[in-house]
Amino acid sequence: MKDDKSKSELNYKDLTQSDKDLVAKLVRGGFSRREVLKLSMVTGVSLVAAEHLLFDGKAAIAATPKKGGSVRVAIDLHGPNDQTDPMQFTSGIDYARGRAVYSSLIQHANDLTPQPELAETFEPNSNATEWTFKLRKGVEWHDGSKFTADDVVYSMNRHLTEDSTSTIKSVMASVKEWKKLGSHEVKAVMHSPNADLPTLLGIFQNKIIKNGSKGDWIGTGPFTMESFEPGVKSVHKRNENYWREGAHLDACEITAITDPVARVNAVIAGDVDMIARVDPKAYRQVDSAEGVTLTSIPAASQLGICILKNTKPGENDDFVKGMQYIQDRERIVKRVLKGRGTVGNDTPISPAHGKDWCGELPQRPYDPDKAKFHFKKSGYSSAELHVAPVTSGIEDTCLLAQANCAKIGFDLQLKKVPNDGYWGAVWMKEPMNVVTWNMRPTANSQMAIQFGPGGNWNDTFWNNARMGELLSLSLAETDPAKRHKLYCEMQTLIHEGSGMVIPAFSNISDAIRDNVMGVPTVPLGSNGAAEWPEFIWLA
Amino acid sequence: MTEQVASKKEEEVLAELDSFAELPDAPPKRKFRLSWVGWLSVGIVVFWLLICVIGPTVAPFHEMDMEGDDSFLDAYSGEYGTFYLGTDYLGRDTYSRILFGARNTIGISLAATLLAYLMGITLGILAAVKGGWIDMGISRVNDAILALPTIMLGLIVIAALGSSIPILIGTAAVIYATSVFRIARALGQDIMVQDYVEAAATRGEGIWWIIRAEVLPNAAMPLATDFGLRLVFVVLFISSLSFLGLGVQPPASDWGSMVRENLQGLTYGSYAAIWPALAIASFTIAINLIVDDISAKSGGSLAKKMV
Amino acid sequence: MMTQMVFQRIGIGFATLMVVSIIVFLATSILPGDVAQIILGQSATPESLAALRTELGLDQPGYVRYFNWLGNMMTGDLGISKAGGATISSLIGGRLGNTMMMAGWVAVISIPISIALGLWAAMHPGTWLDRIVTFGTLSLISVPEFFIATVAVLILAVELHWLPSTAYMTGNETFVELMKALAMPLITLVIVVSAQMIRMTRAGILNVMSSPYIEMAILKGVPRGRIILRHAFFNAIGPIINVIALNLAYLVSGVVIVETIFAYPGLAKLMIDGVQTRDLPLVQACAMIFCATYVVLILIADVGSILSNPRLRNPK
Repeated sequence: MKDDKSKSELNYKDLTQSDKDLVAKLVRGGFSRREVLKLSMVTGVSLVAAEHLLFDGKAAIAATPKKGGSVRVAIDLHGPNDQTDPMQFTSGIDYARGRAVYSSLIQHANDLTPQPELAETFEPNSNATEWTFKLRKGVEWHDGSKFTADDVVYSMNRHLTEDSTSTIKSVMASVKEWKKLGSHEVKAVMHSPNADLPTLLGIFQNKIIKNGSKGDWIGTGPFTMESFEPGVKSVHKRNENYWREGAHLDACEITAITDPVARVNAVIAGDVDMIARVDPKAYRQVDSAEGVTLTSIPAASQLGICILKNTKPGENDDFVKGMQYIQDRERIVKRVLKGRGTVGNDTPISPAHGKDWCGELPQRPYDPDKAKFHFKKSGYSSAELHVAPVTSGIEDTCLLAQANCAKIGFDLQLKKVPNDGYWGAVWMKEPMNVVTWNMRPTANSQMAIQFGPGGNWNDTFWNNARMGELLSLSLAETDPAKRHKLYCEMQTLIHEGSGMVIPAFSNISDAIRDNVMGVPTVPLGSNGAAEWPEFIWLA
Repeated sequence: MTEQVASKKEEEVLAELDSFAELPDAPPKRKFRLSWVGWLSVGIVVFWLLICVIGPTVAPFHEMDMEGDDSFLDAYSGEYGTFYLGTDYLGRDTYSRILFGARNTIGISLAATLLAYLMGITLGILAAVKGGWIDMGISRVNDAILALPTIMLGLIVIAALGSSIPILIGTAAVIYATSVFRIARALGQDIMVQDYVEAAATRGEGIWWIIRAEVLPNAAMPLATDFGLRLVFVVLFISSLSFLGLGVQPPASDWGSMVRENLQGLTYGSYAAIWPALAIASFTIAINLIVDDISAKSGGSLAKKMV
Repeated sequence: MMTQMVFQRIGIGFATLMVVSIIVFLATSILPGDVAQIILGQSATPESLAALRTELGLDQPGYVRYFNWLGNMMTGDLGISKAGGATISSLIGGRLGNTMMMAGWVAVISIPISIALGLWAAMHPGTWLDRIVTFGTLSLISVPEFFIATVAVLILAVELHWLPSTAYMTGNETFVELMKALAMPLITLVIVVSAQMIRMTRAGILNVMSSPYIEMAILKGVPRGRIILRHAFFNAIGPIINVIALNLAYLVSGVVIVETIFAYPGLAKLMIDGVQTRDLPLVQACAMIFCATYVVLILIADVGSILSNPRLRNPK
């Protein structure tokens, strides 16, 4: 393969999945000589061939972003409940619109480090009980008025009031109060030290809105809202008065196509330029389509099965072990997620969390004999699992578990329930149910949300005092090695003791037309966690 | 959904035909004779009914087995056995799932249609015979259900009560009983004003005797012709629920969900969605052809009542 | 007589509307979860739920909310969407137009085709042409709608690139662009609706054809075509009008699958969205529109069949 002939023979389509992901990443992020070298080493082809590979079909990639043009982006869900108030954003389409129109104090980079946005600097005091933010000057709202500290204090304190209807009220609960220090300086006074506060400020609901408003689509973001029809579409024009360089596109339209088959067909037919969430069933279709690339960004979107520890059958540890050993994790990744995912180890932390992931923890294998042993010891011969399509692949994961259970004589009954009403009526109520969580920007917040003792969303009702201690200890710990040790102890606790079954994590898989460039890869959600509006351009 | 409309259509046609019908003095008795198309259709229906019973025993795999090495395999023989019709998106044997699914698809729709008939006819004839406020009350509720989209009604009931097979049957039965009710009521009202019924009433016969001896036999033929179509609409109703992610509980297979979940295979040449679609079509078309045949051969039954 | 019937029907129509509103109210209240829970979703906490319920007025008892809604409805105020905060009239306005436009175009295309094909098949019963029409329409009735729609998209949009795969409208397109955008859902709906109308037209006419007076006419040597056009069609027109009316009602309320697959912003999908977010005012408003459409169309059909039929016009 090391001769020139391989140039014409080796094509993108012949590569393995991980190599394809690498190429796609390189092509989208722009690539240096070093990365070409890396690709050639990984795929075992010559440098020339590697280079050819990268340029294969991508000749149009310009080194510098081009201005102009308009894109149409289709998310997966929308309806009359599309929100205007960032505080109540719940779905991908809200996040995308929010990113286009509003700004945050902090923005997530692709590797999840906090970057300055409306806050130019952010500094904690010595023990992280207070954070001071210097705000950007000269920023204007879309209606021409000036952005000041009053807007920030108003926007951020809305999450904290007693009767707040914010969807992230408990996420922000470590902040006691936001105070104005000057016209462009604010301070967050904490209840408890939190070294991760800046990262939290980058999440979707933490948008800065005008003092006294409810959002109302007046923001400081790269695009203005031209028209907004809930459940139909929104149309945006470039904000010519943006405080940064500004968006590359002249305009964009954000809509949704709820049917997964139709959504994929629309991007392949070229009717939309980018879609969120490709169903694993359609991976092959997108892969083989001309002019469309399937992104595959490793993330920590868990396919989770919650077994409640405070009731039958989950209070029995052997039952939980049985459910964990019956998961054919490799096969779930291969069969259900078609290779675009990571094997899970019954903890919510995935390799996508980087150094916070505990690789030392032995991987729990698929072991029908052990599962049989534990089920037998537990005394249960059947159980009921409530399944809703909360994330793609979860139903099929449960189907596979059901088939494997049947082989060892255990009757796992699946009860399929609709998605709407699921979070209120089934999740955290039925003894066994399914769950997914968007990846959180820090390992600490990822574990705190599900496993903090007595927390609102402790969805297996597993209350471990040591876990609570470790959560606060790790927040205050600044030494990376010690921190990793603490995180590893937490993951081991969850792996051994909780009622959580996490057989796999799915990658974020979106389809993007090849002329759309510069889509960020922030792993917190689809389309670079909706960070695309400011950064994409058309080749 | 289409089936709702069609059901209304059919019922309206029949009701309309009947509204200017003049019935003969006694219920017509006739023998049914089928054409070769009719017999072929009967054969297909009998075949599927047989599969309902023996399907799970003759299927090479269980409906939940994921033995195929990959999704959307073409028909082939592997180490686990032969996949006659290839595999579905999860590597399950399509052929076995069709054999298993027959029970659900045909069983549910037959049960629901029979139940719909029981309810519709009982209430319809009750409304026709009793009249007054009872008629008014039942008819308004009936109209209200008819005016609402079937899929929405199905969505609400199943979201509230869960989608077990009895609930699926009950939901479909209530929704389609509305159309049966209207036919039965219209027929009943027509028959009630006929001379022979009035004669029976003057003879001093009780209301139940009149229903049993006069109303039901006369209404039987038009209702029977409607039965086949109604069955088709229930099959389609169940499959449209699968579009919303409802329907029968996994791992049970029904043909409609099988079409839905394998649609994406079409783009890369998999027939996994085509086979169940053909199964639905063969069963429903056969039922319709039998219905056609019966109404054509006994063509007079309806039409002779006219003018 | 006729006026009396029309007024009576309108009265019954209002009664039906009331029953529908009660059914919708009862049905949505048995659904698990409420709108506050759906908005807050996975991230709900007891406190934020209570706060949002108060804000949306959900802390009042159900019957109070129902009568408030009813009172406002009487004054023409449809209320505000609980889920998103937009006014119901603004949510419905554009979509009602879209739904009516789609239903109108489908009707304009499919009614003449269906009547013509149905008549043609009825004129030549038992011929190959008749068999093709019968079998073809039967096949199309028997296949799920989403299958027809998806196959059409795969062929016409994804493979051939002739038509867009979704019915995406910008709001200021030319007539040709509009027709192109609507083409895919139009084709699907025309197929679905026509198949049934053709079948019913054919069946209606054949039924009349076997009646004694037609047989008499045939015996007297009146040409078959003339019998059908002059007598049979005339007598079958009542049922055919009814079929058309019910199809139009379906096109307004029942096309949720087509609207979903082609991302067409119409009323049927809006109502399903309303049910899924437990947005009672929105569901009620849609239900009222659907029920009114149904009542009006049936009324028109009845009036039409009476007018077209001398025997019904002058009852004995």
